[in-house]
Amino acid sequence: MTTTSAPSPRPAPPAGRGTASAWLTTTDHKRIALLTLGTATFLFLVVGVLAMIIRAQLTLPSQHLVSNDMYHGLFTIHGSGMIYLVVTPIAIALGVYLVPLQVGAPAIAAPRLAMAGFWLYLGGALIIFSGFLTALGPALAGWYSYPPLSGSRYTPGAGQSLWIAGVFLAVLGLILQAATVLWTALLKRGPGVTMLRMPVFTWSTVATNLMVIGSFPSLLAAMGLLGWGRVFPQLFTENLWNIGYQHLFWFFAHPVVYVMFFPFVGVVAEVLSTFSGRRFFGYRATVVSLLVFAAFSMSVWGHHMFSTGQASNDYYSLTSILLLVPAGVEYFGFLATVIGGHLRFRVPMLFALAFVPQFLVGGLTGIMVATPVIDYQVTDSYFIVAHWHYTLAAGSLFGIFAAFYFWFPKATGLMLDERLGRWHFWLLVVGTNVAFLPMFWLGLQGMPRRLATYLPGDGFTTANIVSTVGTAVLALGVLVGVVNVVTAVRYRRRPAPDDPWEGFTLEWATSSPPPPLNFDDDHPLPPVRSFAPLLDEREHAGQEGADDPAEHGALR
Amino acid sequence: MSIRGIFDDIFLLELSIAGAVFVVITVLLVVFLVRRRAGAGRPASSRADNIVLEVSYAVALLGIAVFLVVVTAQANHRQQQMQAQFRGAPDVVRVDVTAFQWCWRFQHLDGPASTTGTCQEDPATRPTLVVPIGRPVELRMTSHDVVHALWIPDLALKSDVYPDHTNSLAVTFDHAGTWLGRCSEFCGTHHPTMDFYVRAVPEQEYQQYLASGSPA
Repeated sequence: MTTTSAPSPRPAPPAGRGTASAWLTTTDHKRIALLTLGTATFLFLVVGVLAMIIRAQLTLPSQHLVSNDMYHGLFTIHGSGMIYLVVTPIAIALGVYLVPLQVGAPAIAAPRLAMAGFWLYLGGALIIFSGFLTALGPALAGWYSYPPLSGSRYTPGAGQSLWIAGVFLAVLGLILQAATVLWTALLKRGPGVTMLRMPVFTWSTVATNLMVIGSFPSLLAAMGLLGWGRVFPQLFTENLWNIGYQHLFWFFAHPVVYVMFFPFVGVVAEVLSTFSGRRFFGYRATVVSLLVFAAFSMSVWGHHMFSTGQASNDYYSLTSILLLVPAGVEYFGFLATVIGGHLRFRVPMLFALAFVPQFLVGGLTGIMVATPVIDYQVTDSYFIVAHWHYTLAAGSLFGIFAAFYFWFPKATGLMLDERLGRWHFWLLVVGTNVAFLPMFWLGLQGMPRRLATYLPGDGFTTANIVSTVGTAVLALGVLVGVVNVVTAVRYRRRPAPDDPWEGFTLEWATSSPPPPLNFDDDHPLPPVRSFAPLLDEREHAGQEGADDPAEHGALR
Repeated sequence: MSIRGIFDDIFLLELSIAGAVFVVITVLLVVFLVRRRAGAGRPASSRADNIVLEVSYAVALLGIAVFLVVVTAQANHRQQQMQAQFRGAPDVVRVDVTAFQWCWRFQHLDGPASTTGTCQEDPATRPTLVVPIGRPVELRMTSHDVVHALWIPDLALKSDVYPDHTNSLAVTFDHAGTWLGRCSEFCGTHHPTMDFYVRAVPEQEYQQYLASGSPA
């Protein structure tokens, strides 16, 4: 196969589509999404390097590779970077790319608003990182930045102010993007695509973006309050404003946890069902559970405040523990899909399969920390650090890589290498678990989080050495992934067909990469009769008149 | 039963349930990964739903959730009642705790004794709170500047400490010993070394300490 062969002939694109200015002023949702996803992926590598410095410092007791305050800056930018600038943008921008395709729409609703969202996000990211150039260094009050510590009296310096402005702008941009995705899914669907024929991934973005619209404005208010307090630090001598900030913040910051989770439930559902060769089992139950989950997510924020002595712990514990019902229903769908499947273990499938038990560790420990008497002991310890690294790194990150390997051929027209993909996968599995499992133990041993160093007598040394070794393996895995992408793009040896995985949803019916308006004369929109339209067609062609899937409960 | 004992019980209960759920799901997954691999030649099922099974499963999950909510709320109430009893006891020892960047000050209300330190890496610079064995101790905590948190890991005792607000923890030390306390809410530059000790001593020694301001 020559390097220039394309999977299918296409009309030449209009002149100038490839230029930088065309990219930077685009109204094509695919390009807006790729700009956002590309920025977030680059920042993932940057804040990942910060984590390596953190782990290097913690490997042995009484190390001072960096000063305490630089360490505090590193964990602040690592944590807030991963949450505000990496995983949340990826969760939302995946929808910007995929939802118009999956609902058979030629474009996203309000593309300029989505593009404005990207620019705000990019500007916010630059402003946050510009803190490294200021005299007193970057922000260092942690990703939740509680006052009075984050006020100008206790954290002087421009870094913290820049962080507040940057978070405000980036999150405002994400709200705009989320709104356009929601608008597209609800009002811009193509012919035949009813609500209950939207793929699971699209449904997961509907639930996600409802939470974004409902909860993210609260963060804007919280950042406004912090900004006000930096000008008038007297404000945060009053308990009302300190505890009020925590409520405003967590009203955003618990739903954001599910914003960073739901789209990957959708991704894993799509990948599992594709490589199981069957419809996702329990589609309707999963849709309902996502919506219930999203609604309940707005009522649980106070479980981050059990140890404040100023929250209604029984109430927040009740709502938090009830979330195990919708979460359990989603897991039922994952398992039942695999149980009746004809399984092909391609790289996206490996990442999706590992997501299932690994995220489960995060979910089950989540029920533990929703229990006040357990939370009093483990909150602000490494147990919590382990808990949400299992949700975000062992969970969402594996969902991100599943999505990456699954849709990379669609977005670029190039296949990634399977062998390197497997190395990437296995190194990441080993690295992730070796890095984060010991942290549960450290927390139970009494190691507080955000500890720049510890003493030899604390008894934290062995587990920290193990954790650092795991981080190195994890980083090696990510490096293999980078090599995979660079070689695929550089040498262009493996052009991707339109449908490399025998996919079920509409994006696989168009070319790789899709034309500017998603479907054209060469790739018309196929008829849509269920949430897996391409599987319907295949079954219909394969067994004409023999067997009606509706008899087996298939949605028609 | 102590506060630590209640934590241990519930932690063990939830760890067992979580462990069982993890094992069941992982074993199911692995077994079917092998049985349903493409090479095994079983065709994919075309079944997309089983509403009866799904609804009954969701109801069963709801049952488990309600059980957990009840058990954990009861445990929380037991801890709160225990603390309320300690606070109301006639022989309660009251200590005002002030957290500041970056150390602690302990002021006994029964006598003139007060202690503080500078909380550097050298343990000698950390303050030691002296309390009597067997009597309830109430710590009334406030902060001089930012949010801190008082944590004694071995006793499973923790509370955030706020400026312009007082939180209270109550506990009884039933044997002699020394416990490490830490600040567990990030509070700035020297947060990592903001440690203290609690030392439980016999009543007589405690009275001497109160009178003299230093432990015998």
